[in-house]
Amino acid sequence: MAVNRILAALIALGLASGCAAGGGGFGPGGYSLVRPGPESVAGGRMTVTPTVAWNHARRTYHDIRREENWTLNGPLLDNISFIGGLESGKAIVRQRRRAERQVPRFRAEMSPPELASMIETFFRVRAGSVEFNMTGLQPRQFLGRPGFQFDYTHLDSDEVERQGRAVGAVIDNRFYLILFDAVRMHYYPAGIGEFERIAESARLG
Amino acid sequence: MARLPLILVSAAALALGGCVQTRQYADVEFAPPQGDYDLVVMRPYVSVGVVTTGGLVEPRADWTEQARTNLLQALREQQAGRGGRTLVLENREGIQGVSPQDIANLERLFTAVGSSIVLHRYMGQYLPTKRRQGIDWTMGEDAVAFGRATGMEYALFLYAQDSFASTGRTAVQALGIVGCFIGFCAPQGGGGQGAYAALVDLRTGEVVWFNLLQTSSLLPGVRFGDIRTPEGAAQMVERLVGRMRAGRHVRERQGQ
Amino acid sequence: MTHWITRRAALTGLGCACCAGLAASPAEARIRPADMRPLVGPGYRPTEQDEQGLWHEYERFEEEIAGSNLLIQDQRLASYLGGVVERVGGPAAGELRVYLAHVPEFNAFMTPTGFMVVFSGLLTRMRDEAQLSGVLAHEAGHFLRRHHIRRWRDLKRRTDFFTILAMGAGLGGAATGAYLGDWVRLAGIGTELTLAAYSRELEAEADAMGVRLIAESGYDPTAMPAVWRQLIGELDASAAMRRRHRRNQSLLATHPAPESRMHDLTISAEEVKDAGRTYDRGRDRYLAAIQPHRQRLLDDQVKLNDPGASLYIIHSLAEDGWNGLLRFYEGEAWRLRGRNGDRENANQSYALAVAFPDAPPEAWRAHGYALIGTGRPAEGRSALTRYLAMAPDAPDAAMVRYSLQQ
Repeated sequence: MAVNRILAALIALGLASGCAAGGGGFGPGGYSLVRPGPESVAGGRMTVTPTVAWNHARRTYHDIRREENWTLNGPLLDNISFIGGLESGKAIVRQRRRAERQVPRFRAEMSPPELASMIETFFRVRAGSVEFNMTGLQPRQFLGRPGFQFDYTHLDSDEVERQGRAVGAVIDNRFYLILFDAVRMHYYPAGIGEFERIAESARLG
Repeated sequence: MARLPLILVSAAALALGGCVQTRQYADVEFAPPQGDYDLVVMRPYVSVGVVTTGGLVEPRADWTEQARTNLLQALREQQAGRGGRTLVLENREGIQGVSPQDIANLERLFTAVGSSIVLHRYMGQYLPTKRRQGIDWTMGEDAVAFGRATGMEYALFLYAQDSFASTGRTAVQALGIVGCFIGFCAPQGGGGQGAYAALVDLRTGEVVWFNLLQTSSLLPGVRFGDIRTPEGAAQMVERLVGRMRAGRHVRERQGQ
Repeated sequence: MTHWITRRAALTGLGCACCAGLAASPAEARIRPADMRPLVGPGYRPTEQDEQGLWHEYERFEEEIAGSNLLIQDQRLASYLGGVVERVGGPAAGELRVYLAHVPEFNAFMTPTGFMVVFSGLLTRMRDEAQLSGVLAHEAGHFLRRHHIRRWRDLKRRTDFFTILAMGAGLGGAATGAYLGDWVRLAGIGTELTLAAYSRELEAEADAMGVRLIAESGYDPTAMPAVWRQLIGELDASAAMRRRHRRNQSLLATHPAPESRMHDLTISAEEVKDAGRTYDRGRDRYLAAIQPHRQRLLDDQVKLNDPGASLYIIHSLAEDGWNGLLRFYEGEAWRLRGRNGDRENANQSYALAVAFPDAPPEAWRAHGYALIGTGRPAEGRSALTRYLAMAPDAPDAAMVRYSLQQ
């Protein structure tokens, strides 16, 4: 997951001086356009159908292979992450094996509260959250299978309160997730409708 | 804390290069405020320091206070010239009808919004969905509620810093330039200004206009208007908010 | 701006490396507490231009801190901390202010104008009031010895000759600022003061001043070396759990190595003790003051998933006796690490936790899922039912009810 805002800002700083070069389908700033309509995400493991245009962030050093990140107004304000088919034993973020603080690796046998806790640790360890509160955890169909919906709020070290919703499921021992995280004021309520449409449209493959 | 991080401003300055630089962006439908309007300046931050020989910036309390008074006076006059009344919010308790908590939350929201504007407009992290959209960010319903509660039409977020080279620093600069003629070129930055201003239309909540100003000089002795003096402050206000341009659509319609 | 420890600075690396050339002072001898006289008296105000400028910036910074939503808002705890500072603040006692930031780090810093920021992670680790008073007195020592302005002047003098180093340190400052966001950045007046991290000599001064202050106010001075012993233990445990060596920071750091601070403080503590005087540790007062926050403090720490550090802290707190809360978080630390065998350790801790009357509802939830996962579904379901009975409005109640039906 690439919701690491503080770091994202810093990486952007690093790129700022010489960021004119872009590769692949990405524009000069590292974002490419996602048009409304069916779109294959997270290495082709899922297909979703957004109804508005999004900005697809170029993969950074911190991202894992099975993820993809989009934003409407910039990652400091809103972000949607897709994780498609993460294998048991792998983490949802790239990290040093000997780092003191780590996001737990996904295990196929994790219970829904454990999956929620894994996401919480990501925010605390990698995204600068100093407070994190679960506001809801409930069963929800995802990709046509029984999964979960995790709602939460967090306060980050930039003093901004953010809110998020994650919808996920473990299918054939692999983890599938779509997560929306945004500034609580305006940006979360403004984006959650589109997130719901995307989550409902998600199909395997 | 809820201020646009300095680090972004100074890094943007790198991207902009040296000398006097301003680059403004406006909402495509933006028309500069004109006529009878009320504008609130949200806890403006001003800091003035001296650059030591070694290149550190040492804050100067007296210069800062002087500059702050001058800048705000210049801003009041400049806005009055357009017909606007200016209220300067000195602290979070300073306005009727809105709690300090709500002011703080607006400031925090602006930290995120303003940083995003700098990142995605000034620092090359362009978002394809916002191409040719000018400034397309909002402060949302909370800004509208703030406007309704206070009767204000516009909010201005303002940040300005200035520094002056000490005598020793000027000498280092001079050496750096002289060195260029003998093959060892190490130009050193002297004093410089960095400032931004962001205008929020409280009737819609939209950030309608944003300007980033950077002046710096690698040449010794060059200065850009001393904001410790009323004239210099007026000059910075003129550069920062005085040359407000209308948005693209508005200009296109006017051009027809 | 001084940080009680440099672990975070070590992690950000760059900042330290750049300071090294400026801060390194050869072979530090121990500073005697007897030589540490306060340099400021009550009502001190700066008279010189550079110090006035520094004060002006920090007065604005304090306004930002005071209005920050990162502070823990608890009037009782705030006045408790204020009371301890007043007791150990020496001549500045009446002027020092304390802000408690909700940041799970073992850290605290002092500013030139007399306000200090204590991070909540400090309260997680202190065992008694004497230990807490040692940290606060150390910070007060920076103020009493006018370290900020002394360091700033020293820095100006040095950077006048080493301008390139200053530029490098600017980058380092940016790296340090990344972690705490605007706090460190504003605290540092841009990046410059981040560079002006205290030299090891000034840290040693603050230690010597601090140990003297707490002894004079009746706290057991051996609490100060004890804090360092605990910190060394924690860093070692953290490194061992991740199969690495603790970073050796002695050459690059702006602070002395923990070992040398512990060593010097052990000698100094004996030196400042008056024979025949009895010293206070204030353990009950301390535990009572932080009791309402204990669960949150543990929660913040354990969820960082630094299992070595977390287990070390839990086990040292358990020296005063195990309870349901500590056993539950012991289980959480194992579960989050998630290596082979950790799940079994975690399940065992949960089982022990629910045997205590003070076990939090979450312990029953964890115990329930553990039982279901190990082939004891009936017992698991009854534990989950217990969880729902204890926390009927829990945000995850719907999920747990669903699990009960499976």
